Amino acid sequence: MVEQFDQALRLASTRIVESVANFLPGAIVFLVLLVGALVVALVLRYTLRRALNGLDFDRRAELLGISLAAWTPSRSATTLVASVVYWIVLALGLLLGLTALDAALPSQFAVSVLEYVPHLVAALAILVVGGIVARFLARAILIGAVNMGVQYARLLSLTVKWLVLTVAAAMALDHIGIGRTVLLLAFGILFGGVVLAIALAVGLGARDVVTRALERQLREPARDDKLDHV
Amino acid sequence: MASTGLSSSGATSEASPAKAVDATPTKGGLVVGLLSYQDADTIGLVTTAVREGLACHFGDLASRIVLVDSGSTDNTAARARDALGGSGDLLELSPPRATVDLLELPYHGIPGKARALHTILATARDLEARACVIFDGNVRTVTPHWIDWLARPVVEHAFDFVSPYYPRHPFEGALTKGLVYPLVRALYGVRLRQPAAAEFACSGRLIDHFLNEDLWERDGAQVGIDLWLATSAASGDFRLGEAALGIRAHHARGEKALDLGTTIAQVVGSLFADLENRAGRWQRMRGSIPVQHFGTSPATAPPQSSSVDVERLIESYRLGYRELRDIWTWVLPPRTIVDLRKLVDGPPAQFRLDDELWARIVYDFALGYRLRVLPRDHLLRSLVPLYSGWLASFILQVRDLSAEAADQRVEDLAAAFEAQKPYLISRWRWPERLRTG
Repeated sequence: MVEQFDQALRLASTRIVESVANFLPGAIVFLVLLVGALVVALVLRYTLRRALNGLDFDRRAELLGISLAAWTPSRSATTLVASVVYWIVLALGLLLGLTALDAALPSQFAVSVLEYVPHLVAALAILVVGGIVARFLARAILIGAVNMGVQYARLLSLTVKWLVLTVAAAMALDHIGIGRTVLLLAFGILFGGVVLAIALAVGLGARDVVTRALERQLREPARDDKLDHV
Repeated sequence: MASTGLSSSGATSEASPAKAVDATPTKGGLVVGLLSYQDADTIGLVTTAVREGLACHFGDLASRIVLVDSGSTDNTAARARDALGGSGDLLELSPPRATVDLLELPYHGIPGKARALHTILATARDLEARACVIFDGNVRTVTPHWIDWLARPVVEHAFDFVSPYYPRHPFEGALTKGLVYPLVRALYGVRLRQPAAAEFACSGRLIDHFLNEDLWERDGAQVGIDLWLATSAASGDFRLGEAALGIRAHHARGEKALDLGTTIAQVVGSLFADLENRAGRWQRMRGSIPVQHFGTSPATAPPQSSSVDVERLIESYRLGYRELRDIWTWVLPPRTIVDLRKLVDGPPAQFRLDDELWARIVYDFALGYRLRVLPRDHLLRSLVPLYSGWLASFILQVRDLSAEAADQRVEDLAAAFEAQKPYLISRWRWPERLRTG
């Protein structure tokens, strides 16, 4: 009886020791990876801040339309980029660490998240490019419309800006596979509705105005053409 | 044609600009370059005037007429040949063409103008010409005297560059009067009143200088080449003169004139680009000197301009202030924005944009262009409402004045640009102060 109890205890302790012996290297690697990621993240954050400040990134970002003042007044674009990179590196370190633990569930989770990262990056790139294009077009249209004497220039400019932003957001969501069918339907309905509304408005309400404007355009040169400026 | 030694070469040469022409009878003589594009209506008139001018005024000098056409499809070259009676006195050259030239019509209406001018100047150099005179093929009012007034200062008085001066109605050429002339005068120290004119005469020495400049392949050269050649001459060690040629009327190229925004983007953009390239030179220049005048005053007064709606110009300025103020704050310092704000609410009759304020605005835009604080096209087009405001103010000031008094008003404006030049220099050197003060 005592022998059996002793053997059971020995087996149990052997299993525990074996488990600990199996787990410990993975845990150490996990910790090393985490600490390494933390160090890399800190260094990257510091370097990025210095580099972006040197490049006058905040002012340039604002020019490109990436203005954070409305959302996070306390954070500049430089701090935001540095923080995002910091947390991305930490998260990558954590995920890599989880795979090192050799546990089935965390490893699967890490692999699936890592596989998803390129889609997220692509979606983020679409959003950033969309934002830049929206800002550029909005400004071009605002200036052009003002120079043509259009009183509702800002409305026109804002419409184009939000149209481009919405399309970019939809493309980004579609890219990461969120609500693909809903998005497709929503856009079909929205754009179809807008085009139909404009067609009805012009056809029923403003037909004469459009006719007169077209006739004027065809018959007369632009008003500022009369003077030779050069 | 009375000129001596002209070879008969009527065939079109697909010449590169550097290709030597077949004969050298013009050594020490005169080359007259005609630039044309869709000018069938006027090229005959210009060619005839040039031929008669050469015969009357430079009969003892070897001379050559060179036609460089930029791809006309309306038989421009044939009309030029016909005007010379098919005598074969015309040397026809085709400049290299680029598809990109056709994408945007330049304000002067000649696609690939820099290449065409380079072809003429290279030909003049190959012919060892003493002087070269350039004419635009679209002028309706050209007379044989023009060639005398332009070329004689170069041929007989050792001038290097003679720019034309065309008397104009006070409202006409406002961009030149209100921005191009004052800026060129303040920066390069010479009082060339119409530096963007298509016609000019230059000496053999200046031809070499032009051809050695690296401006021919720069971005925007096909649009801004007239201005760039004038500033190139002004910033070098050359003798400059101005010839009053009388009234210049021309036929418009293309079906539709450019809108004001595009015109300003092209002309002012060319000027700002040149300013950026010659920063080392103009920062050392102080004051300005008048250039010697040739030619004669016109017997007839400049034609009355089309009526200008000043209230519409002021409304354009107000709309610009309301909608583009946020964009202007990237370029203009707060003090200037405050000054512009004061103009918005006043009655139209008292609308005045101060000369010093206008000069500072132009300088700030030049700096903004250099620093790329906005996409350059946006920056230049956002200048349109400010220009409209200046134009309204200018018209209100000169509409009751005589032509001489209106010219004096332009001189006062140019003096204000000179007085404000230290402002540009300080901002150019310390651009971090752009958004302060």
